[in-house]
Amino acid sequence: MNYVFQFNVVWEHFPELLTGALLTIQLSATAMVLGLCVAVLCAYGKTAGPRPVRWLVASYVELIRNTPFLVQIFIFYFSLPVIGIRLTANNAALVAMTINLGAYASEIVRAGIDAIPVGQIEAARALGLKRLHIFRFIIIFPALKTVYPALASQFILLMLSSSVVSTISAVELTAITNSLQSTTFRSFEFYFVATGLYLAMALGFRATLSAIYWAVFVRGREA
Amino acid sequence: MKICLRLFAVALLAALPAMSLVQPAHAESTLDKILKAKKIRVAIDVGNPPFGILNKDNEPDGSDVAVARLMAKDMGAEIEFVQVPSTGRIPALLAGRADVTIASISVTTDRAKTIMYCNPNGALSIVIFGPKAVSIKTPADLVGKRIGITRATLEEATVPKMAPQGTNIVWFDEIGATIQALLSGQVDAVAMTSFAGKTVADGNPDKQIETKLPVTTAFYGPIVRQGDFELRQWINTWLFLNAQNGTLAAIYKKYTGLDLPPLPVF
Repeated sequence: MNYVFQFNVVWEHFPELLTGALLTIQLSATAMVLGLCVAVLCAYGKTAGPRPVRWLVASYVELIRNTPFLVQIFIFYFSLPVIGIRLTANNAALVAMTINLGAYASEIVRAGIDAIPVGQIEAARALGLKRLHIFRFIIIFPALKTVYPALASQFILLMLSSSVVSTISAVELTAITNSLQSTTFRSFEFYFVATGLYLAMALGFRATLSAIYWAVFVRGREA
Repeated sequence: MKICLRLFAVALLAALPAMSLVQPAHAESTLDKILKAKKIRVAIDVGNPPFGILNKDNEPDGSDVAVARLMAKDMGAEIEFVQVPSTGRIPALLAGRADVTIASISVTTDRAKTIMYCNPNGALSIVIFGPKAVSIKTPADLVGKRIGITRATLEEATVPKMAPQGTNIVWFDEIGATIQALLSGQVDAVAMTSFAGKTVADGNPDKQIETKLPVTTAFYGPIVRQGDFELRQWINTWLFLNAQNGTLAAIYKKYTGLDLPPLPVF
């Protein structure tokens, strides 16, 4: 095969690719924050909540973890309008990503909570700490520290799987790449560069997450 | 370790003449390869009625698929379908996954920069469709409306040019998603081929979907990789004969319900 690579077309459109990458970053970062909140709430509900709450959380987690992400996106974008809820493509993507991440991350957080020795919690109770304080300082903080690497991996995975939301017309990096390759027909070149951008974003997120770990869990706690 | 390296070097030297033999001065043409292997790989898009669909038995069907089958039969080659989404029709060819793509690829000068067109085997019209309640009578009415189009299609190449500023164009990766967006009300109207629009309208009578605006009429044909002149010439010969004897028109009529307009050649 004698294919001639022409990367100059890609550089012409590079600002558009960056706009797409920016939306990918925004969507992923927002979904990470919201998804973690959902995860912590669910993990708390599942470990300490009353039985109906535990049952509800378990159903949510199993429902999301055992259905394809693409189908979940379609439901939020194409099916919700039937019952009168019309989300824009970006919002539908964000909601789907948050709910998806929440389910996966809640199991990770729960594993961290389960790893807390019961004696530690009993000691806190004996010292007279309030329920919320126990959860905040004795349970969730060390739990998150323990499972942080697993959470970070899940976050990166979410960022990479966000490429699927182009199917519902959210204009993130994959969507823009698809549009550009289909109008310029330089698919190799555009997909190569998009791959590079995803790699850069994944490494960037990893570095940021490591920095957050250091700032929250390590700094000032060396003793 | 040293011995390993030496052995490797010897092996490499021994392999060199063999490697150069693999690429003779005159490379075998794609047509030669197809005839020799008695197998042709055809990229098709089965998500684009009536040109490419999956029938009740989950077998590829549709006007382009019928053309491909007949072409392969006359070539004396076994057909191997490479199913691609509309965005993958040109990449599959360029990546060498298919020898020819027959998937209603309308002729544009931009596409011809990357691939070579054979003569057209059909014609299609791009039309804007929408529910009865949405009022679109002139291109100016598109302002402020959400118009769904599918990537890597003729509508992507033409609708943004005709739509005035202020039109909210929404891109989908697949025509299935575009249709869903129309049916679920995520967009006000969509641009697609008149056949696809008719299929959607007939399948969903309660939505009262109707033709709003014609966008363009175009001819589409098989495409091959640049440089595959022998294959292109064979396909053009086949198209010429089957345009003359009415086979192309019969296939077109069977799947679209319309008479095939006279096909120009180039």
